[in-house]
Amino acid sequence: MKIGTPVEELDTPVALIDLDALEHNIGVIAAHYRDKTIRLRPHGKNHKSPQVLGMQIAAGGTVGGVCAAKVSEAEVFVNNGAGNVLVANQVVDADKILRLAALAKRVDTTVAIDDEAQVERLAAGARALDTTLGVVVEIDTMMGRGGVRTIEHAVKLAQEVGATPHLRFRGIMSHQVPTQRQPNRAQRFDEGGRYIEHVIAAKRAIEQSGIPVEIVSTGESWTYDVAATFPDVTEIEGGSYIVMEVPYAFMDEFRFALRVMGRVVAKPDQRTAIGDVPIDAIAAPNGLPTLEGVAGATVSALDHHGVTLSSETPLPIAIGDPFYLLTHQQDMTVNRWERLLGVRNGVVETIIEAQARGCVN
Amino acid sequence: MQRPIEKPVGTPVREIDTPALLVDLDRLDANVAAVRGPARAEAWVHKTPAIARCQVANADVVGIAMRSIAEAEAFAAAGFDDIRVLRPLVTARAQERASALGKSIRLHLSDDGVPLTGAELLDDAVTVSSRVTSAPEPGRAIVDCGQKAIGRDFGDPTVVGHEAFRASAGSAEHGAITYPMRGAGPSRSPAADATPLAIGDWLELRPADVATAFSLHDYVYGVRDGVLEAVWPITARGAF
Repeated sequence: MKIGTPVEELDTPVALIDLDALEHNIGVIAAHYRDKTIRLRPHGKNHKSPQVLGMQIAAGGTVGGVCAAKVSEAEVFVNNGAGNVLVANQVVDADKILRLAALAKRVDTTVAIDDEAQVERLAAGARALDTTLGVVVEIDTMMGRGGVRTIEHAVKLAQEVGATPHLRFRGIMSHQVPTQRQPNRAQRFDEGGRYIEHVIAAKRAIEQSGIPVEIVSTGESWTYDVAATFPDVTEIEGGSYIVMEVPYAFMDEFRFALRVMGRVVAKPDQRTAIGDVPIDAIAAPNGLPTLEGVAGATVSALDHHGVTLSSETPLPIAIGDPFYLLTHQQDMTVNRWERLLGVRNGVVETIIEAQARGCVN
Repeated sequence: MQRPIEKPVGTPVREIDTPALLVDLDRLDANVAAVRGPARAEAWVHKTPAIARCQVANADVVGIAMRSIAEAEAFAAAGFDDIRVLRPLVTARAQERASALGKSIRLHLSDDGVPLTGAELLDDAVTVSSRVTSAPEPGRAIVDCGQKAIGRDFGDPTVVGHEAFRASAGSAEHGAITYPMRGAGPSRSPAADATPLAIGDWLELRPADVATAFSLHDYVYGVRDGVLEAVWPITARGAF
C-alpha cells in the first residue's frame, strides 16, 4: 500500500478510518477529563490497534493503560506499550490464568470476578509465578451477563480476595448499555446515573466492611460525561466513541470515523446495484449498513457474496463506481480486518495495524 | 491474529484453548466422499487450503471456487491450480491481478459449466468449543464464546447435545446459555438436565452459519475420536 494513494484508487472492499474524525473523537474525551479526576480506560476491543491506543494515551485523560476483553488481547496491547491492563471479564482456565499472571509480572494487571470459584483459580496461577494479580468485582447493573447480582455478594467476594495471598482487591467494575434507542441527554443522565448510583452503593458497602476501594470502573462512551459528575467513579471503560456506529448517533459530539468502501460490480436494473462488500467484511448482527452519499438509495440486502443497493428512482452510480457504508456494529466490523487505512483529505495517510484482531482466546 | 495457547496433536478436545473452531474429521471425510461430479468445490466457505485439499482429493471435484481475486491468490499460493472467481472484476487493477494469476493456474472468470458444490459441506461437521466463565444465577451461564468467536449475522448458535439449552451470542465477547432447572416452579422442568452448569464446564456450540464462523478464526482444529489430529490455518480469512 502506497501512502498518498487517492481513496478512489484503492482495491475494494477496504476499511477506512477518517483520521480527522478519529482525532476529534479522542480529543472530546481528553478535553472533558483534562481538569477532572476521572480517567478513560480505553477499550482495546473497539479498535484492536496499539497504534490507536497510543493516540488515546498521548491525548491525555486516560489511565495510561488499556481495557481488554480477553487475555490474548491484553497481551497484544501490553506487548505494544500499554502501561497497565484491566481484563474486564472472567478468566477461569488454568492455562489462561498463567498467561495473565505472566502479564502481571510485567505491568499492573487486574481481572474481574463474580464468583468464589474464580478466586482460588486466580490465586493458584499467581502463586505459581510468584506474582500478584489485581482483582475487581464485577457488578451486574443491567446486562444479565457476568457480574454479582447483589451488593452483599460483592462485599463477600471483596473480603475473600482481601484474605487470599497473591491476589489484591482493587475495586469494582460494571458495564451498561442504554435501553432506549437514541436517548436524549436527559434520558442518558437519568438512566446512566441510576446504574452508576448502584455501583457506588456497592462501593460504600465494601468500604463499610473495612476494605478500601481504589478503582470504581463503570460506564461506557454513552456515559463518559454522566460518570464524570460522580466523584466516586475513578474511570470509565470507553470504546464505542472511537470510530462510532449508526445506533450510537445520539452521541452527536462524536463523528463517524469508520467506513467500508466498496464498488459496484453489477447493475441488474436501473434501480438496483450489487456491490463487492460481503457480510463478513462489515458484519450486520444489528441491522443492515447505512449507505452514505447516494441520494434516495439504501442497502436492501447483504450476504456472503455482496451487498445490494436499491432505490425507488434510477441509481446514480455505475459499474466500477465506489460507495461507502457505515456500520451498525463497529466492534464486530473492526474485528474482521487486519488493517484499517487511515485517510485524510482523500488520500491514504497511514496504515493502522489491528494486531489484536481475532484475539478471542 | 488469533493467539491461542497451542496444544499438541493428541490433546483431548476439551483441553484445546477455548473458544476454538473445531471440525469433525470423520464427518468431513464422509461429506467429501459423498460428492458426485463433475463439481467445483466452494472453498470460499472455509477459506482453508487443508480442507480444500480434502475436497479435491475426490476425483469428481475438478477445482475450487473463490469469491475474489484476493482469495484466489491466497489459494494459488497454497498450490491450487484450477480456480473460478465468482465476483465480476470491474477495475483495471483487478483485471491486471487476474492476468498475472492466469499465467500460473487455470483461472476461470466466468461460469465454466461445472456445477458448484460444498456450500453445506461443513454444516454438520463444524462447532465452536467454549467454557463457562460465570454462573451468575440459576438457569443461566455465561461462556467465553460470543459474537466474535461464532458470529450472529445469521442467528444464534445451538448447544450440541443439549436440546433444552438456549444459546445467545448477543454480546461481542460473551455468550449466554439459559437452561431449564430440575424441580418445581414455572421455569423448572422434570426433564431438565440434572446438573446445572458450573464455572469451568465445557460446551460445544454449533454456529448458525459456518462461513461466518470461519471468517472470525485464524485456525481450525481437526478432531477425530475426541482428540486433536490437525491444526489448519484459515489462510484466506480477511482476503475479501
